[in-house]
Amino acid sequence: MALRDLLKGAAEIGKAMGVTLKALMEKPVTVEYPRDPVPLYPRFRGKHELRRYENGLERCIGCMLCEAACPTGAIYVEAAENDPEHPISPGERYAKVYEINLLRCIFCGDCEEACPTEAIVLGHDFAMASYDRRDFILTKEQLLNPGDPYVVIRPE
Amino acid sequence: MTELVTLTIDDRQVTVPKGTLVVDAAAKVGIEIPIFCSHPKLDPVACCRMCLVEISGPRGMTLQTACSVPVAQDMVVRTNTPQVKEVQEANLAFILLNHPLDCPICDKGGECPLQDQTMRFGPGLSQLVEPKRTKNKNYLISDTIVLDQERCILCWRCIRYLEEWEDKPQLALFQRGGETLIDIQDGKPVDAKTSGNIIDICPVGALTNRVARFAFRPWEIERTPSICTQCSMGCNLRIDTRTHKLRRVIGRENMQVNDQWICDKGRFANAWVNHEERLTTPLVRKNGELQPASWSEALGLVADRLQAIKQRHGADAIGAIGSAKLSNESNYLLQRFMRQLIGTNNIDHRDGGDVAALPTGVPALADVMKPQYGPDPKHDVILLVGIDPSEEMPVLDLHLKRAVRRGKATLVIVHPRRIELTRYNGPFLQANPGTEVALLNGLLRALTEAKEDTSSDAHQLVANIKLQEAEKVCGVAAEEINKAAATLAGAQNPLILYGPMVARGEAGVQVRQALINLALYLGKPENLAYVGLEANSQGCRDVGLLPDRLPGHAALDDPTANELLSRLWGCTLPTRAGKTYKQMLDAAGGDIKALYIMGANPASERPTWAEQLDKLEFLVVQELFLTETAAKADVVLPGVSWAEQDGTFTNLERRVQRAPKALGNPHSKAAPDWMILDHLATYFDAQWGHANAQAVTAEITQAAPIYNGLTWEALGDQGLQWNPAEHSYVRPDMRYAPAVQPELSESESGLRLVTGTVLYDGGDLFRLTKQMKNMAFGAEVRLNPADGEKLGVTEGESVTVRNTYGALELTVKFDATVKLGVAWIPESLPGAPVGALLNGSAIVNVLIEK
Repeated sequence: MALRDLLKGAAEIGKAMGVTLKALMEKPVTVEYPRDPVPLYPRFRGKHELRRYENGLERCIGCMLCEAACPTGAIYVEAAENDPEHPISPGERYAKVYEINLLRCIFCGDCEEACPTEAIVLGHDFAMASYDRRDFILTKEQLLNPGDPYVVIRPE
Repeated sequence: MTELVTLTIDDRQVTVPKGTLVVDAAAKVGIEIPIFCSHPKLDPVACCRMCLVEISGPRGMTLQTACSVPVAQDMVVRTNTPQVKEVQEANLAFILLNHPLDCPICDKGGECPLQDQTMRFGPGLSQLVEPKRTKNKNYLISDTIVLDQERCILCWRCIRYLEEWEDKPQLALFQRGGETLIDIQDGKPVDAKTSGNIIDICPVGALTNRVARFAFRPWEIERTPSICTQCSMGCNLRIDTRTHKLRRVIGRENMQVNDQWICDKGRFANAWVNHEERLTTPLVRKNGELQPASWSEALGLVADRLQAIKQRHGADAIGAIGSAKLSNESNYLLQRFMRQLIGTNNIDHRDGGDVAALPTGVPALADVMKPQYGPDPKHDVILLVGIDPSEEMPVLDLHLKRAVRRGKATLVIVHPRRIELTRYNGPFLQANPGTEVALLNGLLRALTEAKEDTSSDAHQLVANIKLQEAEKVCGVAAEEINKAAATLAGAQNPLILYGPMVARGEAGVQVRQALINLALYLGKPENLAYVGLEANSQGCRDVGLLPDRLPGHAALDDPTANELLSRLWGCTLPTRAGKTYKQMLDAAGGDIKALYIMGANPASERPTWAEQLDKLEFLVVQELFLTETAAKADVVLPGVSWAEQDGTFTNLERRVQRAPKALGNPHSKAAPDWMILDHLATYFDAQWGHANAQAVTAEITQAAPIYNGLTWEALGDQGLQWNPAEHSYVRPDMRYAPAVQPELSESESGLRLVTGTVLYDGGDLFRLTKQMKNMAFGAEVRLNPADGEKLGVTEGESVTVRNTYGALELTVKFDATVKLGVAWIPESLPGAPVGALLNGSAIVNVLIEK
């Protein structure tokens, strides 16, 4: 009885060691972040960006639909009327204030979904830590000039 | 009893009064028929074809417009057949063909009937592949309304409103077919004073509010039902706020007051509420400069100085001026503060004790209203004496126009200017300014003659009045006086309204007596009403903001009121009548050593008063802005506007209405007016202990018996009227007495000065809305063109208007509505106080010099 248990145990250990030995030969899945870059799926939802048209006009028209869609109330928009001589966006309306509170945002992407002009998009930047709470309120200036624009969008 | 009709809608039996439209009958049983052009307050036109339903007729079931077909007995209506559905989809697809669908930038988005009905009844897919038609976008039809012709679906609601209510057809359809568009006529902007209502009734975003443009989204705002405080009508409105800012004002229905309409001043002129010039902290004068201070420092100083002055000069050396722009609560506490803690009756407000008023107000506004579906107004003849509703109360103007055009009412107008309402061909008595008594006596004389009643008491009063003399003195043809008398003689239920213009000073007392004689003779003394011009003119009188009246219109020596108030306040009341507004300001620096001014700006009214205020030992001003008066103060206490505090206001028909707090500025230290007074009382060792404004409202119901039961909760969203019939002591003792025309100095040369309120003046509450600045009156004097020619001045020329009291630099403007021999200078023009020429008297002449 005892001998049989002993042999069975030894066989199990051998089997387990076999798995270990096999894995030893394989390439590791761990990413050495932050030394190595993290692979991201194209539709990953990270920090927001506001986009412009090719002629430089802002896409955002200040319609506030993103604000309405936002489940956590993280977005604050204040619209204003374009000066026809120096328009900021096409049409009559633009966003004078556009702020996102990253502490509230749950990165659900509903704002992206609601946007009729594809102005607000979620980018690939996910490293957003900061020592100051104020840094988590993204202003329109920051949103329009993301450090490393990399966004997958539908074609025009 | 109206005849009832029973019909069947979608297999449901409905019984409605005869004449009801099918669409309204369906709504009664909760069946929605989509509409665009139909509006419950406008005549049907059936032009949008959205409401087509199957209605039984001699040719079987046919498609007919539910908005224009009245119900009939045993009629059968079907709203849910496949044919109806098909037509609705086709119609919506057709309407949407050229609609731009720029909902994301459209201010109507979110509260748009076209959006809602497309989602509910629409086809879901568009078949249009061609490019959409383009028209004018962002096209201003006035300084305050933006028209987007692309979005317009041609329902004519705006056109019909301006025709049916305003009687100013300033918008019309142009072009044909797909090119049809709404436009102004001959490039003339829409200037109707209630034009903003077309924004509310537009079923799409074609007409939008320029002042509130892009400032709100329907799903982001908080809505507070409130009232307007720009005039004494007390129109109901809704304040939309977001992030502690007032974003938009729209009309709210109250069938007893304003139907659902509000005027453009109430709708658009509200930039002052959130303006950066607002005072946000108490200011105390140190080394000659006003400097920010804490509340305890400011209130402590006020208490110390007032007590010191009281000790040195007596309580009657201190006076207080309240404001008919502020709530009942604030004014009630101001008079309580003065009567209880200072011990004086020197309490008044502008047009308060100086005016020969009546305490009871208009019997009921509903009696001059003609709603779209409703009976004719109860008053068949309306006599206006010294009131110009078009400039002073535009929504009353709207009601009166409607009463004349749709309700068979006649207007009789006594006014020194040819005011807008005179265009309805009622008798117009353009009396020379200051001769109203002679005119009204002449009118009574003509009236007794018209009734062939020369033996009555009334006739005895005016037996020695000759119409020819009245004609000479007043400059009104005897024929016109006779015409007015005939109209009044035939009246079943006449209403007589008079305003402060004719009620001021000694002459005002005589005018009131002449009107009382007239009203008694017409058998309707209860239909004679004084109409104040400010939001709370009635309420200020009701809560005792008068030098000779306690709360509830009780006389100072009234034993019941004295007992009630001394018990309630725990003090003995001062018994000597106080000084009026004018007397206090005239005596400032003399008998009056200290003034507490709340919400008034007398320094801008008259240059002499501005100088007098400098002579005061101590001046406290409680204000929203650093006005001319506040700049002279020793202590300035920042108050908050009507939208930022709870309060009740009493309108011209004694309707007490709530104005709840809609917003508040978290960065401001300003406080509600009643709270400032409540805190100030604690520095006088009095604990009033009002936890909130509602507690003050509750105290008013005790202090003023006429307000019994009118607590905050009881008032509700539509307000309640107090009933003068239940409080007989309020009713003035009206009896026949001779009314004497005051002597007018004949020898003076020049033009007779006429002044008065205009809607778009230079006041703080108006000028801060920058979009409206071109609509405001400039510093101008208006002359009849014939007078201008005689004086050799041209339009636009700058002149000096002078008399013995003062001089003003003004621009000449010709205006045919001004009578010959008269110069019209409205009150509160920017930088040109007409008070400089008046010196307190109502009747002066001026010389026009180049």
